[in-house]
Amino acid sequence: MDMFIMGLCFTFFCLAITAAAFAAATRPRASQAAAQPELRAIEATPTRFFADRAKPPLPTPIAVPIEVLLQQIENHVRLEQAAAESFVAYPSHALLHSKTTSPFVN
Amino acid sequence: MVYTLLQGLSPAETDEVLALGSRIAVPSGGSLFRLGESADRLFLIERGRIRLSFPMLVRNKEEEVFFQEMAPGETVGWSAMVPPYRFTLSATAPLETELIALSPETFLAFFDRAPEVGRKISLNLAILVGQRLQLVQAMWMREMQRVVELKSGQRAEAH
Repeated sequence: MDMFIMGLCFTFFCLAITAAAFAAATRPRASQAAAQPELRAIEATPTRFFADRAKPPLPTPIAVPIEVLLQQIENHVRLEQAAAESFVAYPSHALLHSKTTSPFVN
Repeated sequence: MVYTLLQGLSPAETDEVLALGSRIAVPSGGSLFRLGESADRLFLIERGRIRLSFPMLVRNKEEEVFFQEMAPGETVGWSAMVPPYRFTLSATAPLETELIALSPETFLAFFDRAPEVGRKISLNLAILVGQRLQLVQAMWMREMQRVVELKSGQRAEAH
C-alpha cells in the first residue's frame, strides 16, 4: 500500500513538473520583444560606385540688392566688351574661346 | 575735338558740317532718347558721356541694363540714318553732357551739295556700324560658346 501511494505521488510530481515546463516553453515573450531595438527601413537609393554619399545641399543664392546686381551685370558687360574688342582687333580662335574673367558667370 | 563721323574732312568741311547742327545739353541723369522712339536726329558728343542701355527683366521687374558708354568725339543715334529710323537702345547722360544734334534731312541735303564730303561721312558711318556689328557679333559668339559649354557639361568635366 505504501509503495502504491509513493508511486502515485511520484507520478503526480512528474506530471506537475512536465506541465510547468510545457507552460514555460509556450508562454509569449512580450518583454523581450519590447526590448528589441526598432530596425530602420533601408532607403532604396540607386548605388553608384563613384558617388555613394548623399549630395550636399546646393547653396541658397544670396539675394543681393538690385543695385548691386545691376552693377555686377554692368561689370560683366564691360569685361565681355573688352574681350570682344580684343577679338575684333586680332581675330583668333583662342581669343574667341578664351574663358571670361567676369565673376558674374564664374 | 576729333569726331569719328567726320574723320578725313578738312577743318573747313568739319566746321561746315557742325554748323548744320544744333548744340544741346543733357543734365546729369537726363534722357537723350529711348528705345523705340522715332530716330529723327543723330548726335556727336562734345563733352561728357552718353550711356547706352537696354531693358531687361531682372527679378520680374524691367530694369535698364548697361550696354555701352560713349565718350566725346563719338557718335550716338545713327539709327536716324538707317531704316526703320527707330532707336534700338536708350541713351542717358551719367553726367552733364553737351552734344551736337544733326537731323538726317539736313545732313542728306548737304550731301547733295557736297558729294565728296557726303562720301567721306558715309564711309565713316559704315565703319561705325561695322565696328558695332563686329563687337556685338563677337560678344554673341562668346555667349553662345558659354551656353553650349554649360548645356553639354564641358565645363563641369574640365574641373
